[in-house]
Amino acid sequence: MRYMMIMQAPETMAVGGPDAPSPEAMFDAMNRFNTELVEAGVLLAAEGLAPSSEGFVVTYEGETPTVTDGPFAEARELVAGFWILDVATRTEAEQWARRCPIGPGVRLEVRRIPDLREFEGIAPAEFLDAEAALRARVAERAGRYEQSGS
Amino acid sequence: MARYMLVLKYDEAVAMATPPDPAVFEEMGRFNTAMVDAGVLLAGEGLAPSAQGAVVTFPDGDDDGPTVSDGPFSEARELIGGFWILKVASLDEAVSWARRAPFRAGERIEVRRVTEAEDFEGIAPEGVLEQEAELRARAEQQHGG
Repeated sequence: MRYMMIMQAPETMAVGGPDAPSPEAMFDAMNRFNTELVEAGVLLAAEGLAPSSEGFVVTYEGETPTVTDGPFAEARELVAGFWILDVATRTEAEQWARRCPIGPGVRLEVRRIPDLREFEGIAPAEFLDAEAALRARVAERAGRYEQSGS
Repeated sequence: MARYMLVLKYDEAVAMATPPDPAVFEEMGRFNTAMVDAGVLLAGEGLAPSAQGAVVTFPDGDDDGPTVSDGPFSEARELIGGFWILKVASLDEAVSWARRAPFRAGERIEVRRVTEAEDFEGIAPEGVLEQEAELRARAEQQHGG
């Protein structure tokens, strides 16, 4: 089963921020954790996000979507990055989450990722077939992206 | 090219009170198809209800290690419902995709750039970026992406 670990923290704790440990300590700790995940064969994906000043928010209140540029000053905790793990049990996901190198002020949300077949009987059958075909196309493209490295 | 993550935020109380509508699946299918046809979608997943999840925190000045609280996350007004990662030429292109995403009541989409190794050149200790690149390649190989 797949679990997503979502790291949430105030932006002042991001690499180079005023409340962050030294970049050396942060990178070393993360690198050790990521190495353990890969050596255990459980890591499917992981990414970090750039500061919210480079992002924007889309909301839909009326007829058309509204776009608001970052930084997201109103949010105390922002998503800093995520991992997706492939593990046998929820307990295994929890054990990895406990080992994640986060400190006070950081929150790690752990959520299960449902498989498509869980939506049988809820979503139209044609949707599930079409979605499976789309995933195959995305996997092929993502594989090419990883290889090209750009 | 840059990678952007579209993070769907939602109010779980509102979502629980609204039964799933087949039309939503169809709209989502059209949106996903448009992104795949345009060649911009790298990944996308939806998350199960927070009742099936947990939160891990590190209490301040506590040596006992992390605290784990089981879901549902009733204290959080907004939760993450899912995400897409797009590879696009510009922030404007990411904006235009986010505008086309199917919405339901109480939802919003945060769009964030995904960092690349270049972002950390000169900041990360020597060797770490190479190690990270190697780890990514190994994870990719293990799961046959």
